[in-house]
Amino acid sequence: MTELGPQASTQVLAREMGLDQQNVERRKRIVDLTSEDIARIATLRDVVADHVDEFTGVFFDYLVSLDEGRALFANRTVTERARALKRDHLLAMVEGRYDTEYAIKRLELALLYSKYELDLRVFLAAFHHLLKRIGQSVMRRGESAPLEAFEAFMSLKKVAFLDIGIVVDAIVFERERVIRTQQDAIRELSTPVLQIRERLLLLPIIGVIDTHRARLITESLLKAIRANRAKVVVMDITGVATIDSKVANHLIQTVTAAKLMGASVIVTGLSADVAQSLVALGIDLAKLNTVGDLQGGMEEAEALLGYRVTLTGERVAGASPLVG
Amino acid sequence: MPVPILKQGDVLIASIQAALSDRDLVEFRDDVATRVGSLRARGLIIDVTALDVLDSFATRTLRGIAYTAKLRGANTVVVGIQPDVAFAMVELGLSLEGIATALDLEEGLALLSQRSGQRGGRS
Repeated sequence: MTELGPQASTQVLAREMGLDQQNVERRKRIVDLTSEDIARIATLRDVVADHVDEFTGVFFDYLVSLDEGRALFANRTVTERARALKRDHLLAMVEGRYDTEYAIKRLELALLYSKYELDLRVFLAAFHHLLKRIGQSVMRRGESAPLEAFEAFMSLKKVAFLDIGIVVDAIVFERERVIRTQQDAIRELSTPVLQIRERLLLLPIIGVIDTHRARLITESLLKAIRANRAKVVVMDITGVATIDSKVANHLIQTVTAAKLMGASVIVTGLSADVAQSLVALGIDLAKLNTVGDLQGGMEEAEALLGYRVTLTGERVAGASPLVG
Repeated sequence: MPVPILKQGDVLIASIQAALSDRDLVEFRDDVATRVGSLRARGLIIDVTALDVLDSFATRTLRGIAYTAKLRGANTVVVGIQPDVAFAMVELGLSLEGIATALDLEEGLALLSQRSGQRGGRS
């Protein structure tokens, strides 16, 4: 994302968030923004245009007054950019055109907030502060007809809430992106396929197996079988806490797929609890070649491959356990 | 496109080079049935390395071929199933139960010679 320009990245974000015309229309319905509102907002154009710099200042002064909001001001160019965007935003708020383009424009500032980890609470507080100041100016200007001024201001507030909705959604979406990438990373890391002897692979599985992960495990195992010309695979599930019928089914699928590629799989590390619960659930693992623990599985695999491991009783002199 | 069937010792090697239509598969099956008998083969290797898909009909036909060959006195090994293909087959619930599978041609030959009681190439 970082290498893209701001324009391109907001377009990408809008696409990922599903922020299209239909979505924007729906958002407008949610805040109940009608054509009457837009007409009323038009009467506020002068007030906002006259005070736009003041309003922008109010928003950022409030942010800078709070410790949580200061990260945005560490870099001068960023601050300038944010100010410019906010100014555009204020002018656009009273412009009367709230379409997809308008919504996408809001994303650039949201991306800035998200990048500098602006606290949502702080953002909302500053926004409220800004609205209050706008309200004051509007009421002052419309002193002769306070009810109309109030109505117009409330219409403007609908637009404000529309914008808040978009910005909050974007910030949350960006935050969840981090979670998604980390989840992927964890999944990738946790399914190593190791070659421990010529033509013998070890596949230790730790953690929870869900459908997505089962697929990843199977894929990486099959690729490794091909790459290492493996004949036997020892799959150790000591680290799998619970096995239900779904997980058992995934394991059987993995084993069957490996079999199709000519590799036999030995499953090891079924704990007493797991074994008992499998029996209680009535899951038939007869298709799997299971051995109690990893050591037993390794011995069986070596036997299958024709290895015989003998203890010579000799130790290589001076070899440290780490190197030797 | 017919599948070439090569004879190597007492083993027949059929290498499927391109995606086969259902008609090709049936022809292939008939071909195998006659050749196994006429060439007195003891083993049959079907190489599917070049295939990037194995559907239910192909799977069923392969099973049929293996069974036919068995009845005619030859053990069948299917070799070279690609990772993606294996995965898709498992997901679709297609199985080659009862048929030996091996990684590639070399493995398949080793498996056959092991089965027929001779010593394989590997010590």
